[in-house]
Amino acid sequence: MSIKETEELILNMGPQHPSMHGLFRMVVHLEGETITKLEPKIGYLHRGMEKLAESRTYAQFIPYTDRLDYLASPHNNWAYVQTVEKLMGVEIPERAEYLRVIFGELARIASHQVMIASTALDMAGWSAWSYAFRDRERICDMYEMTAGSRLTVNIMRIGGMSAEPPEEFWPALKSFLDDTPEMLEEYYGIFFGNEIALGRLKNVGILSKEMAENLSITGPVLRASGVNYDVRKAEPYSIYDRFDFKVPVRTGCDSYDRTIIRMDEIVESIKIIKQAVRDIPEGPVMAKVPKVIKPPAGEVYHRVENPKGELGFYIVSDGTTKPSRVRIRPATFINLQMLPIVALGWKIQDVVAIFATLDAVLGEVDK
Amino acid sequence: MENNELLKRQVEELASRVNGEVEESFGVLVLTVKAPYITETLTAAKQFAEVPCDFLHDLCGLDQVDHFEVVYQLSSLRGPQKLRVKALLNRENPVVDSVTRIWQGANYLEREAYDMFGIIFKGHPNLKRIYMWDDFEGYPLRKDYVTEPIEVRNIVRQRIEGE
Repeated sequence: MSIKETEELILNMGPQHPSMHGLFRMVVHLEGETITKLEPKIGYLHRGMEKLAESRTYAQFIPYTDRLDYLASPHNNWAYVQTVEKLMGVEIPERAEYLRVIFGELARIASHQVMIASTALDMAGWSAWSYAFRDRERICDMYEMTAGSRLTVNIMRIGGMSAEPPEEFWPALKSFLDDTPEMLEEYYGIFFGNEIALGRLKNVGILSKEMAENLSITGPVLRASGVNYDVRKAEPYSIYDRFDFKVPVRTGCDSYDRTIIRMDEIVESIKIIKQAVRDIPEGPVMAKVPKVIKPPAGEVYHRVENPKGELGFYIVSDGTTKPSRVRIRPATFINLQMLPIVALGWKIQDVVAIFATLDAVLGEVDK
Repeated sequence: MENNELLKRQVEELASRVNGEVEESFGVLVLTVKAPYITETLTAAKQFAEVPCDFLHDLCGLDQVDHFEVVYQLSSLRGPQKLRVKALLNRENPVVDSVTRIWQGANYLEREAYDMFGIIFKGHPNLKRIYMWDDFEGYPLRKDYVTEPIEVRNIVRQRIEGE
């Protein structure tokens, strides 16, 4: 007797699952081990940020933005305060701009380290995970010196920075930058050079260039599909037009390129920080901003290059102390749309790899 | 600068075709049209000569108390052009054509706007709530949605338990 037909298996992965980075659930339809349909279910971490913003003043909303993409919280602060500054027409001091770049790029490195670590973990590479997390601790220490907290740092204010970094910050930063080439070599050796990792990632989950553009994908995922687009170059915000750096682009379109492109970005971030440390002027870190923040009526959309993609804020002001609407354009929420399309036809362990390379942070996906 | 002129000319030409209004806000052109014209507007914007606005950054709902708006942020990966398109919807019957046929990336964004504002996107392949659970009542981001304070909610809960 032979089996002519197999029954379709519906499998629930998550929300509490080791491969899900946070509270994410997907319903997977399987034919044997091959995916025939995938449905992401989100909303387990939905806190209604956009609604909360409507009942808070402009300054009160800054700590909430930390909880969006909590692995790169300075970037969320940055996007939000710059939008409000644009709306009010505030010029911030030079030193504050440089400090914002330094902390922003440190956050990018930290976020990419977590990405590499967690991707390694999803491929069952425990030791690679510990290396990247060990190095990220040093960035957390630098946050702690300046802002007092290690994860949700709340380091920026409307009009500048919350604090001047203490004296011991600069030697710590310098030693960190000096050690980075060695760190990167370690990650290459232990993870990217590993045969199992290569086998799990190479040529898995192809996202073509046209598909990526049509799906509004941004960030490293888009650049790994061969599109040279970075908000820092396309529409330089802050002082990014003063630095000399490249936008890493890879054309593999697969999971491996989506992972290794973060290594290239760390190298560029280090270059930017080195230039910023060299050029940083003396001076105040806060502009003179009125105590009660009351932007004129109007609306503005502003975007920055978050480690995960493009983070945009669209603020509609009605001239009062509270915003009429704050719209957050989260990068990974939109990038996640590729998962049900790209995962079709792959095996179940490949879905874990594809999802890991998206670098989804559910705080940002669910807002 | 040349690009800006070129874009402005084409946007104005498009506006006269779809009965829209053009204004400028913080250096970005804003084109406001009525909901039935939205597919025509966006298809044309995607195919502007030399300055195509072919990348959808964001799509969101907006409650203006007397009417709803759907805001599309467009730009391109190959140029500096930027355009914001707004569709005006009436409050009683907020219906607009889905743009998922133009950009697949609008899928989740439209589901979110439906979830938060109750805007119906005609032609959407899977218009379901995305953040809230399926039997949730009301649309949270509408201005008339009542968010009672926690104290009030606790009183209600105690009364139900006491009964």
